[in-house]
Amino acid sequence: MMEKMIFGRYVPADSTVHKMDPRSKLLIIFLFVCIIFLANNWITYALIGVYTFYMLGMSRIPVRFLYGGLKPVLWLVLFTLILQLLFTKEGNLLVEWGPIKIYEEGVRQGVFISLRFFFLILMTSLLTLTTSPIEITDGLETLLNPLKKIHFPVHEMALMMSISLRFIPTLMQETDKIMKAQMARGVEFSSGPFKERIKAVIPLLIPLFVSSFKRAEELAVAMEARGYRGGEGRTKYRQLSWKAADTLQLVVLAILTILLFLLRA
Amino acid sequence: MEKSTNTLEQPIGASSRGTAVVNKSQNKVQGIVVNGLIAALYIAVSAIIQPFGFTQVQFRVSEMFNHLIVFNKKYMFGIILGVFLTNLFFSPMKAYDLIFGVGQSVIALLITIACARFIKGIWARMIINTLVFTFTMFFIALELHLAFDLPFMFTWLTTAVGEFVVMAIGMPIMYVINKRVRFDRI
Repeated sequence: MMEKMIFGRYVPADSTVHKMDPRSKLLIIFLFVCIIFLANNWITYALIGVYTFYMLGMSRIPVRFLYGGLKPVLWLVLFTLILQLLFTKEGNLLVEWGPIKIYEEGVRQGVFISLRFFFLILMTSLLTLTTSPIEITDGLETLLNPLKKIHFPVHEMALMMSISLRFIPTLMQETDKIMKAQMARGVEFSSGPFKERIKAVIPLLIPLFVSSFKRAEELAVAMEARGYRGGEGRTKYRQLSWKAADTLQLVVLAILTILLFLLRA
Repeated sequence: MEKSTNTLEQPIGASSRGTAVVNKSQNKVQGIVVNGLIAALYIAVSAIIQPFGFTQVQFRVSEMFNHLIVFNKKYMFGIILGVFLTNLFFSPMKAYDLIFGVGQSVIALLITIACARFIKGIWARMIINTLVFTFTMFFIALELHLAFDLPFMFTWLTTAVGEFVVMAIGMPIMYVINKRVRFDRI
């Protein structure tokens, strides 16, 4: 069940975005998160929208996956929209209904914040939908390589991330199994008195920690036995390759940034 | 019948064969692997266990794993990686949570490590850790303020209360688990 939640996020397809280097995708997403704040009028938001749908179109990700990313935050966006509508008191009065007054600026701000959020979620979802977790790890390791100069353990962090990704499904299965075993003994995890539910977590976490440490010990011994000596001189099975499409997409984003600077209010 | 190897009775760091030969390289490898598994456990627990009826936005049960730093500062990387990966794969607010959520964890953990030099005793350190994490929720409030224009002080108050509750509940739980698992042994 939970495996689908995590690894089901990656949707394999034969698209331009899928084939792009994970480094360029990470850079594009990071820059997009920054430049989206440049948008402050209808034209700039329209540009951001066109770019988002251009990237989504290229990725060939089915709409239901994109909707899945938006669904959990719809209530939050709605809440923000209502807050903006009710508490922004600038511009022309549009609607007056008893004590409720809705002003032009409230509508404008509410719509802009909602749009910003939708575009942001769609673009960041694109990263995990089109890039496998292991590709993200490789991309991050390469991008963070300059930090080695200040003795940041880049290789070690990447290795930790790979180990973690490898063991997530295993530990999820184990958590699920222990929970079911405890429930079979009458433990209530989601109902019953608050104190009892807190207590119920202890016999669940102890075996999880014990088995995790045991696995860690076995894996460390196996790595030592196979001569693991850290990142020095280590070669890679998966090679990243920067293509013309990666450069092109970064150029497109640079053009978008310039346009946003020129057209913003 | 031969007695089976039991991790509960054996310090983590000693090999399962009972030898005490633990060199620097072995320690380093074990540190990496344990942190990788702590991160995986953080994600698994975040995804599966929600016994207190917390919403998925702020109140993760695995937040109580932040107390691991009190027992051993080497768990810092595992906790940060756990937060990072959970936000990357589960959070609908990915971009913001990756920056602000991970930033909050890094800063709070560093403050606790610095304070731990002057404070002795597990309970005192756990209380400080809880207060530090509660206070640094202003990072998350700032995130929500930037993303949604939500009122900063109100958001700080609500998120801080949630964090305080999880971390406070986490104190006795992690204390009891430590008695069995012995987190200080890597």
